Amino acid sequence: MSDTDERVIRVPRGHDALRDAATGDTVAVHEVGPTGVGAVDPLITATAAGETAFYVDPGPDRVRSAAAALADGESAGSAGSPDAVVDGDGWTDALPRPDLQGLDRERHLLAGCGWRRPASPEDHDSAGGFVDADPDTVLDAAADLRGRGWGDWRRDEPVGPLWERVADSDTADPALVVNAHGTDRGTSADALLLASAPFEVLEGADAVARAVGASEVVVYVNEADEAAVETVREAIEAYPDPAAPMSVVTGPPVYRAAEPTMALEAIGGADRLEARLRRPDALPTLGRGRTRDGRPALVHTARTLGHLALSLRQNGDPTRLVTVAGDVESPATVELAEEEPLSAAVEAVEPAGEIDAACVGGRFGGLTDSLDVAADPDALADADLGTDGRVELLAADRCVLEFVGRRAQFAADANCGRCVPCREGATQLADLLRDVYDGDYDAAGVEELTRVMDGTSACDFGVDAARPARTAVARFDDTLAAHADGRCPAGSCFDGETSNDAAGDSTTAAAATDGGEPAPEVPR
Amino acid sequence: MSSDRQEGDVPALTEDIRPGTATDPEPGSDTEATVTVDGTEVSVPEGSTLLDAVEAAEAAGQGAPEGVGGTAAEVPALCHYGREGIGPRSTCRTCVVETESDGLVAACSHPATEGATIRTDAERAAEARSVNLDLVLSNHNLRCTTCGKNGRCELQDAAIDADVEEPRYGVLDDRDAYEPIDDSSSFIQIDRNKCILCNRCVEACNDVQVEGVLRVEGSGADTRIGFQSGVETMEDSTCVSCGHCATVCPTGSLVEKGIEDATTIPIPGFTQKNSVGKVREGTGETRGPMTPKKGDGATERQRASEAEQEATNAREAAAADEERRDWP
Repeated sequence: MSDTDERVIRVPRGHDALRDAATGDTVAVHEVGPTGVGAVDPLITATAAGETAFYVDPGPDRVRSAAAALADGESAGSAGSPDAVVDGDGWTDALPRPDLQGLDRERHLLAGCGWRRPASPEDHDSAGGFVDADPDTVLDAAADLRGRGWGDWRRDEPVGPLWERVADSDTADPALVVNAHGTDRGTSADALLLASAPFEVLEGADAVARAVGASEVVVYVNEADEAAVETVREAIEAYPDPAAPMSVVTGPPVYRAAEPTMALEAIGGADRLEARLRRPDALPTLGRGRTRDGRPALVHTARTLGHLALSLRQNGDPTRLVTVAGDVESPATVELAEEEPLSAAVEAVEPAGEIDAACVGGRFGGLTDSLDVAADPDALADADLGTDGRVELLAADRCVLEFVGRRAQFAADANCGRCVPCREGATQLADLLRDVYDGDYDAAGVEELTRVMDGTSACDFGVDAARPARTAVARFDDTLAAHADGRCPAGSCFDGETSNDAAGDSTTAAAATDGGEPAPEVPR
Repeated sequence: MSSDRQEGDVPALTEDIRPGTATDPEPGSDTEATVTVDGTEVSVPEGSTLLDAVEAAEAAGQGAPEGVGGTAAEVPALCHYGREGIGPRSTCRTCVVETESDGLVAACSHPATEGATIRTDAERAAEARSVNLDLVLSNHNLRCTTCGKNGRCELQDAAIDADVEEPRYGVLDDRDAYEPIDDSSSFIQIDRNKCILCNRCVEACNDVQVEGVLRVEGSGADTRIGFQSGVETMEDSTCVSCGHCATVCPTGSLVEKGIEDATTIPIPGFTQKNSVGKVREGTGETRGPMTPKKGDGATERQRASEAEQEATNAREAAAADEERRDWP
């Protein structure tokens, strides 16, 4: 990696025609993972003498032309009409920052995505990876590290104290589960890390395994994320001297399978997934079959462990991975400093139309009309938004009531069926939202029901499932009330109505939200 | 029933039992503990939950002067059984109390830790118990006047104790949504329209009787009690008719045949069997009691059926992961 004379063309895995077009005698071809920015896929880069040319979705002819130019000793920027060129001042171990939407931001945990060969220990080592950190250093680094995502046993809580407790106790034979099942397949940041930068995750897992004395590391992946499964398997094969055996287990492609206890059930071979009860004072266990005698298991997301690995070799402010999806041309996963507003992430995508609202924090995120909220989990919690690193943009013609109604119905259909507040609560919540169309808008009833779902559900599925409707009532009350009067401000719910017909000449779906407050900020 | 076993039968193997439920941690405390319930201190032994503490406080108040012992509010704990190692399933969440340390918790599955302080009458806890009881009722057909458990139904008792007159979310009263009553067995009738999914029957069948017949299947609103052999009716199942499921059932969902109309209002033509208008009848063939572990042939059929059921479940689960339904 440090050879500045080397000429390299990087091609994303799975694009065999482009790889073949790039292949020649004198130019190295590296197959890399996705960048996380859908708008530039597939992205090909050509690098020579520290200069890198970027080609967005080129055909084989452009790639062949760029490869030929590099082979002839031309500069990277002069070959094949690149979409962007970065004139680096030397070799780099991270994807340079071109003037391309979504890639023109600082990347730390994502730095290797689209640049390093994902299953190459040499590439990861050259980037400063495989830090030989002693257990105390790991526990110190984890003191303020908070669990990322709803698949983490310590979501939004510091993981360090838990690891310290396990390390200090006589807990026999703990297991570490890397939960990369992800939130929404295709746009999961956890799956992106496994597909593109698996050594970041595995290094974090290895460090934890050493620190707590874990005897096994299980990487748990959604079976539908085939690239992640394949790549992390290769990376595990190539991992140098792991502290504990590493393996990959796939889980069914259903949303609830990411919940930590259901992840453990899936890994244990359960033929039906339902949430376990949790003890506040004990770790869950990982066992095969119907046994309570499994080993205590730490369950952390790929993001959490990747951020740990990064913090072991870099001093810097914490960052969060945020995936922007919904009404956009292509989704993108970017990295924000925790104090940065979520609106900064929206700059990485091209919205499909005027954006008036967003769902923040995963499948069951909170509805908001402003993304002027820091990515910090405390700020998100204060705003009653989710922390699962996903922002779903809602275009002006998308109805908020329909959006939250569909989410409530999804919750009713996809929950595990175990506890009443989630199973029956989600069903009744969907019915309460349906009743709005018939003129019966019971805001107090929705608030009461979502309060109980949030407060008494057995797992975070039911806790979170309350949030979309709760926040819609809190922030889009007028929009919901308009439906009770037979009007859809977005113009999508009642036949023959347009937005203007429905909402009056000065009222939009978002402007109607705060009852006379200034028009809300458009989340850009 | 063991006398009906044929030569060559193999004993039941618990590892082959698939109840469809999660493996919960032991719920009780690691040590004995002193817990303050609504201002009353009670001591409970090792292995206790907060519900044990609530019950201890209730017991302390019985016959005691006003203000001594007792609890400030009724805690139904509807799905709780507390005997024979069955439960806690902690599904109904009608035992929610407020703790100083952990906020709202389900008392039946929360360990009683030393020094814990709980309130049964905290506003949010009372609200949660009330809403959750109504949510249970929302999926129960409440046809008490034809039900064989009328007057000895734990859901009915809980609703009466909680002064429920008109449940917030109504009751299951959509004839199209009713499941047919399974009247196919000669011994036990199943009315899933009355099932509250407390799981007692599944645990009695699998963990106490070790028969491996019943299981929880499906997810979301389609969650139901089914058969591990993948069949649709009790008659076709591997049930040995031990009756333990009916014994532990808190409602009229599982009732022994012959007493299914024991408390039906005596109006001609008014019966439990025709109460929802759909019935799965038996074939009338005489069958000996079975267990899933009886002989290789049965095991192979069972396994084939299980595989088919698993494939069906996987397809249904994948479909359920999409927001597939029309809205509204």
